[in-house]
Amino acid sequence: MTVLDVKPAAPPSAGGPGPERRARRWRKAVTGWTFAAPFTALFLVFMALPVLASLAMSVTDLRSTDLRNPFAVNFVGLDNYARLFGDELFVRAAVNTLIFVVIGVPLTMVVALAAASALNSGLIRFRAVFRVGFYLPVVTSIVAIAVVWRFLLDPDAGLVDNLLRVIGIEGPNWLGDTRTALPSLIVMAAWRNFGFLMVIFLAGLQGIPQDLYEAATLDGASRWQQFRHVTVPLLRPTLLFGAVITGIGFLQLFEEPFVMTQGGPLSSTLSVSYHIYNQFGFGNYGYAAAAGYVLFVAIVALSVLQFRLLGERD
Amino acid sequence: MRRHARAFVGVAAVAALALAGCGRESGGGPEQAESVAAGKATGEITVWAMGAEGEKLGAFAREFTAANPDAKVNVTAVPWDAAHQKIASAIAAKQTPDVSMIGTTWQGEFAKTGALDPTPADLIAKDAFFPGAWETTVVDGTAYSVPWYVETRVIFYRKDLAAKAGITKPPASWDELKAMAKAMQAGGAKWGINLQPGKTGSWQSVMPFAWSNGAQVADGTKYTFDSPEMVEALRYYQSFFTEKLAPTELAEGALIPAFVRGDIAAFMSGPWQVSLVNEQGGAGFQEKFAVAPMPKQKTATSFIGGSNLAVFKDAKNRDGAWKFIQWLSRPEVQVKWYQATTDLPAVQSSWQDATLSGDANLKVFGEQLKDAKAPPTFPTWEQVAAVVDTEVEKLAKSGADPAAAAKTIQDKASAIGTGS
Repeated sequence: MTVLDVKPAAPPSAGGPGPERRARRWRKAVTGWTFAAPFTALFLVFMALPVLASLAMSVTDLRSTDLRNPFAVNFVGLDNYARLFGDELFVRAAVNTLIFVVIGVPLTMVVALAAASALNSGLIRFRAVFRVGFYLPVVTSIVAIAVVWRFLLDPDAGLVDNLLRVIGIEGPNWLGDTRTALPSLIVMAAWRNFGFLMVIFLAGLQGIPQDLYEAATLDGASRWQQFRHVTVPLLRPTLLFGAVITGIGFLQLFEEPFVMTQGGPLSSTLSVSYHIYNQFGFGNYGYAAAAGYVLFVAIVALSVLQFRLLGERD
Repeated sequence: MRRHARAFVGVAAVAALALAGCGRESGGGPEQAESVAAGKATGEITVWAMGAEGEKLGAFAREFTAANPDAKVNVTAVPWDAAHQKIASAIAAKQTPDVSMIGTTWQGEFAKTGALDPTPADLIAKDAFFPGAWETTVVDGTAYSVPWYVETRVIFYRKDLAAKAGITKPPASWDELKAMAKAMQAGGAKWGINLQPGKTGSWQSVMPFAWSNGAQVADGTKYTFDSPEMVEALRYYQSFFTEKLAPTELAEGALIPAFVRGDIAAFMSGPWQVSLVNEQGGAGFQEKFAVAPMPKQKTATSFIGGSNLAVFKDAKNRDGAWKFIQWLSRPEVQVKWYQATTDLPAVQSSWQDATLSGDANLKVFGEQLKDAKAPPTFPTWEQVAAVVDTEVEKLAKSGADPAAAAKTIQDKASAIGTGS
């Protein structure tokens, strides 16, 4: 694409718009497009076309039984979208996802920032070990994580409930109780994802000039004040990046409920993505595509909101 | 920006044109099957099969190719997880194999795409199969495949624990089943019975009770869940949970170990559990448990599942494909297939073979299969089944009212429709 972005050099002042000049411009355009052609072709076929097709799909009643004649379907306008908001399960999934994002994103960011600050300040020895340890969940397969967490949270054999029993508390059936299933997944997701943010924040922290802290110390600022008035403001762009990336990821919540609870118990961990996945599975392609676009709009809205809240203020 | 606007209008116009050319055609009458040429099978026959069947069918088919030297059977093993998607993609791309194994609950969906070849009646005799199994192949009055193997649900129970509680014969009625669960629990078992408390597939445990009570889930054109018989069956199913006879939460894979320990004294499941119980129970455990047919209310109907074999319209070797399926559904070949895989034969006369009739446990399955039903072959069944699963979970775990559950299932099923 860079080829297209190159502005033509300033035209020579002498001479009007002659045929040679037009020919030259034409040649330039052809060269440009030739260079851009492989990308453009791939983009059109594998990105633009499926996106447009799914958009078209979302306004039809396409089902899996129409596979052989995908064009022999009825146009239903915004009917799929209207039905979505009357769909009790979709609303339930939307609420679950919202709770997951509203609690999960800040939780993950706070944990990541705390870990990054601790590692950066030298409060912790064996820094490399901790850095690897915190990052390990990010690179571990979700399936392996699910197995381990299911063991941890098991009401009979699980470590968590057995520890609680030691101090005399009868712990709940974490994944089997409608009240604790979603919070359990939030904690697990925060644990799984904070390592990635921690690395980003660590890089951000190391980019803050040391002399600012020295100056603050001379002014008698406490450690907390330094954090509040030096670190956080200077880290704002990094925080924004972290919030947007995590927000997008968390809105698309799917893997955790898929491997841990299958959306249960009683749909208490059903997410929007999971609902879309189910609808595709049932063969309701048009309806599922509409739900996909609703999720897409929600992601865009959340990102815009985050830019407003955390973005540069001038 | 003007150019963008113009491009957008262009796209919109193309889309509108494309859509204007769309619209559903009204369906014609039932399809007629064409006949298959006589003689031996020739040419390459491509077959897709899932799971253990996919692994074993290739070697098993050698006998067929020995009898039909000009034919070659090419089996592709497809994992179950990917099978539905793979078949759907093949249908969309019109690049199907000649034959594919198809889960019974997928039949309606795939038949409705128009991708399946109607079963030629002159080649495959309907009466040879269990009626419940044959039903799974019929969509809108036309059979689109052939039952290959079947499974059904029965009651597994600990004979020794039942005897200790003073029960010496298998439960014959709903009351006796409940009494047995109570007695065995009183005798020390943690749970009298295990019935699936919701989650995927629990409808397969609930439907037998509904059918046994005379409820019908559909009448051919619409779903009919909201009936007094259905409510009564749901109430009976729920009572096992409200009376604390059955657990509302059971971890995956915990059932058989608990059964072997005696923590769960009975459960309802399918034929694949027999070998698992024997394996985990160890030597001598065979004497301690038995299987019993579904207890009788109005009838003693169970659920029938399994897989069918279908030929695609886009098959390159249609005649060869049907001949191969015809061979697989011969009674003696079905018995051999049972020996190779422990898949229960869908052909009734295979059950007279000593291999099957000589085993007491298998005999129960064989008897149960004669009174076993399948859900309607509507393409939307899987979605409705998920609704049933959700409502069953509410019944079992949060004490929902059975009448309200039946009504909710009916409302949602009506909204989903039969997909025709």
